[in-house]
Amino acid sequence: MAQATAAGRNATLPAGRARKGLAVLRAEWTKVRTVPETGWLVAAIAVLTVAVSTAVIATARCAAGTGCTADTTKLSLTGVLAGQAVVAMLAVLAISSEYSTGMIRTTFTAMPRRFGVLAAKATVLTGLVLPAAIIAVAGSLLAGREMMPGNGFTAAHGFPLLSLAHGPTLRAAVGSVLYLALVGLLCFGVTVIVRDSAAAIGTVLGLIYLPPIVALFVSSPVWQRRIERYAPTSAGMTVQNTTGMSHLPIGPWGGLAVLAIWAAAALIAGGLVLRLRDA
Amino acid sequence: MTTIAPYRAPQQAGQDGFWQLAHAEWTKFRTVRGWLIAAIFAMVLIDGLGLALVDAGGGVGGGCRASCAAAVPTGPSGEAVLDSFYYVRQPLSADGSLTVRVTSLTGEYQPQGGYVGPHTPSGLASKLVPWAKAGIVIQQSSKPGSAYAAMMVTGQHGVRMQYDYTGDIAGLPGQVSAASPRWLRLTRSGDTIIGYDSADGRHWIKVSSVQLPGLPKTVLAGMFATSPLYFQGNFPSYAQSGGGTSPSRATGVFDNVSLLGGRPGGAWTGEFVGSSERMDSMPGIGFHQAGGRFTITGTGDIAPIVGGGTNTNFVTGTIADHLVAVIFGLLVLAVIGAMFITTEYRRGMIRVTLTASPRRGRMLAAKAVVIGLVCFVLGLPTAALAVIAGSAISRSRGIYILPVSWLTQVQVIVGVAALLAVAAVLAMAVGTILRRSVVAVATVIVMFLVPYVLGDTSVLGSPALSEWMFRVTPVAAFAIQQSVPAYAQVAGQYGPPEYFALAPWAGLAVLCAYAAVALALATYLLRRRDA
Amino acid sequence: MEATIEVAGLHKRFGSTVALDGMSFVVQPGKVTGFVGPNGAGKSTTMRVILGLDTPDQGTALVDGQPYAKLRRPLSHIGALLDAGALQPGRSARNHLLWLAHSQGMTVQRVDEVIEQAGLGTAARRKAGGYSLGMRQRLGIAAAMLGDPPILMLDEPFNGLDPEGIVWARAFLRSLAAQGRAVLVSSHLMSELQDTADHLVVTGRGRVIADTSVAELIAAASGDRVTLRTRERSQAMTVLAQAGGTVATTDRDTLSVGGLPAERVVTLLTEAGVPFAEVSAHRASLEEAYMEMTRDAVEFRAQPVQEATP
Repeated sequence: MAQATAAGRNATLPAGRARKGLAVLRAEWTKVRTVPETGWLVAAIAVLTVAVSTAVIATARCAAGTGCTADTTKLSLTGVLAGQAVVAMLAVLAISSEYSTGMIRTTFTAMPRRFGVLAAKATVLTGLVLPAAIIAVAGSLLAGREMMPGNGFTAAHGFPLLSLAHGPTLRAAVGSVLYLALVGLLCFGVTVIVRDSAAAIGTVLGLIYLPPIVALFVSSPVWQRRIERYAPTSAGMTVQNTTGMSHLPIGPWGGLAVLAIWAAAALIAGGLVLRLRDA
Repeated sequence: MTTIAPYRAPQQAGQDGFWQLAHAEWTKFRTVRGWLIAAIFAMVLIDGLGLALVDAGGGVGGGCRASCAAAVPTGPSGEAVLDSFYYVRQPLSADGSLTVRVTSLTGEYQPQGGYVGPHTPSGLASKLVPWAKAGIVIQQSSKPGSAYAAMMVTGQHGVRMQYDYTGDIAGLPGQVSAASPRWLRLTRSGDTIIGYDSADGRHWIKVSSVQLPGLPKTVLAGMFATSPLYFQGNFPSYAQSGGGTSPSRATGVFDNVSLLGGRPGGAWTGEFVGSSERMDSMPGIGFHQAGGRFTITGTGDIAPIVGGGTNTNFVTGTIADHLVAVIFGLLVLAVIGAMFITTEYRRGMIRVTLTASPRRGRMLAAKAVVIGLVCFVLGLPTAALAVIAGSAISRSRGIYILPVSWLTQVQVIVGVAALLAVAAVLAMAVGTILRRSVVAVATVIVMFLVPYVLGDTSVLGSPALSEWMFRVTPVAAFAIQQSVPAYAQVAGQYGPPEYFALAPWAGLAVLCAYAAVALALATYLLRRRDA
Repeated sequence: MEATIEVAGLHKRFGSTVALDGMSFVVQPGKVTGFVGPNGAGKSTTMRVILGLDTPDQGTALVDGQPYAKLRRPLSHIGALLDAGALQPGRSARNHLLWLAHSQGMTVQRVDEVIEQAGLGTAARRKAGGYSLGMRQRLGIAAAMLGDPPILMLDEPFNGLDPEGIVWARAFLRSLAAQGRAVLVSSHLMSELQDTADHLVVTGRGRVIADTSVAELIAAASGDRVTLRTRERSQAMTVLAQAGGTVATTDRDTLSVGGLPAERVVTLLTEAGVPFAEVSAHRASLEEAYMEMTRDAVEFRAQPVQEATP
């Protein structure tokens, strides 16, 4: 009898959990989509990325005789550098706005399992970033495909037309989409820890943009290489490389994995902090 | 019912002019301890990181150390110069003229690249570098850095008249060959030296006339050949730029040599001028005379030293090298600048502010003056420390700091403080326009960081685009850090952090224009919007 | 010239919402004027317009005879408390008052005076972010008093005050009026103003419904009615109705009589031998008077949009 009850409970538990998880997810999705700025920010990810990429492509020149060495795929995806800032904003606002208005207490009252809330929010954020990132990357590559040959990057100069059929280009494209999603998760995790919106945006943008700049000016090659290998975005951006692979400080997928580890660490730390701290 | 007399305050002291508003804004700023601490932190970041970062690896990678830097000559106007070439000359007393015909200029370089020591094997590859030079020169003395004027043929830039290291005037275009020789002539008359060139030795064209004040009665006149380090651009990153230079040599063939005037020596003697180490590393330096025909092979350069180490085989630096962390401090100040106003919006305090000072434009101006002055006043000693202490640290590590005038030092120090101040004002204006902290802070950071990152040629591999970033975006203001001029007659990596697309003050003006436009828009919106 | 607030014909719209629809009134010196109305009646918007924070679509608001933006040292003309939470949490109360004082060219001495006046005391050196709502209200009142202004305008100043604080605030406002200052106090709870206000501006739906002294308003709401208790209800009703009174039952043994003075009611009932007790002239509370008015406003609101009654 007792055994049967236990078995029955065991049987219903996973289903109940799953349903509860879905409910939390749905609640978070409702919250996000009912804020007007979400739509604007998601659109801005795609627009800014494609705009910056297009501007870069338009100004890139391969003049005859100068032996241009550009990586046309990476060049076409330059806009990701700017687009990630909008991803960061979206990630920061996804949670800091709840803290600044005190709504976080309402959220935790309605859904006391904080880890679950965090997971749901992270899922919703990724669900928003991924489609925007796909459009951003596709638009950028399309712009590169259309405009690059006109600027001297022709097959005659050793630059075939950009195409996803080309393995490294496909890797760069898929990698860039994942890169943006991971940047979003990293920023989200950091924001959970920092809470205050202004401090959070400063911290995450610093984390994104400063290591590459530090790497530029550090005179020690050892430290330069360390930064390029282990800083989240420096490492993550290597996934865009399609040429000169032997000179990379870290392999393309390895670099993305470094970023993924950063994101995971930030999320786990955020989750622990969330559990230990009063809302 | 009793009627009560309307209240009149007993004393009506005080004023509400601009000064009072600025005083109020300053009180606001200083009484939020976090802002003051963050502003000071920004300064510590600039100096701490700036002084630590650049020396993280000990700086000098090899080659020659202090001894090498100590021997760097300076030209007549104080700039560091290279004065290294093979010279076949004799004294010329009083006025006179020197005429030659150059029939050939060829060159080679050592493809190994890098810092080449004296024992490097000499596998040379044929390459005439663009600024390889062969020609005639009248020189004050054989002392390095002395005044001179020269006519020369070059690798790719035609005939040039150059003088006192920085002067460069174009003559006949085209490359020299046996079929298309170049005739060169220098005439001296007192302190005045006139350069002529000709394609046939009959029709002479005056290139220019230059003054070399204080030229002694007896000068040196002769033929020379030299060839600068072969610089190949397109590096993956600045940090490796030192490795992109290779020693090279050039050989010029001269005939129809005629020196008119007082010739106390009477015979041509050859001599390598400059560092002997340099000569040893490159085989075949010297001259060969057969009848009236001189074949001279030289290496080195007669030119100013440029930043970035692209034309020297020792490590050079500029006074601004330790300002690399200015961008970090700038970001912190920009965040403070934006939050100086967005926090008022967040709490509704803007209404209290505008109730106390209903002249909204004036209130915004007071805020801008306060945040700008705070950043300027904090930035001044910070920049001075980075420049003065930074240069001293570099020197102690054997890095040769390119000498600059005190005015240039002032430009860099005051300019960096102004850059920080104007950036904070721009951030404050953006904060006023956008009102929300997150959006404003993100916008300001992106405004500075994205162009800064894209401005690095290694990111885009497109120098033209990088140049545009430092031309039209707010980071153009970093041009104020440029302490040494770029020279068209020296091949180099004229990019950040040593060189910028715009002139120093023009770059700062770009940022000022951004700040002015943002402030104007902010004022317009602040006046028009309900608070 | 008397220091007053004059508001004339203010109209303002936020999108499709009409916030102000012809708001007009004048605040007089030497009185506490209550500015009352239900939430959304346009009180706060009017106050923001008076302070030049919001621009009206139409109409004018003058302080001391001038538009707010034209005032020199505005805080010495009018002191205002709009939102007690409008503070930088990291700044101490004293420093908050200090920057305000500096903006008007006033000295630290004045800051310490108002700190005493508002009863902030030593708490003034603590960070304002840690203040209770009541403490913030006191700080807001201190800020309003900074310029020693002849006009004060306070939005919901009793919010968050403890009972002791409310007593203090009432006495304080009364004393300000007694000094000859014009004091405008908004509230959505009439009871708060019961013993404080001399004059009332009642608003509803963006306009003034009543602009009257408190005494007049209560008299109008009371309507000369007499309340009495009797066990012989029907008998009393008959007697009084025959004498020309309008009688209504308000409870099982309570009658409300209109049209007859109390003395006449007593005489009539005594003559008819009807037993009765507790004859009293009815005096409506301010709350009742207000409810009556805002009920009208609510009814008015329920009607389709129409032109204002002439």
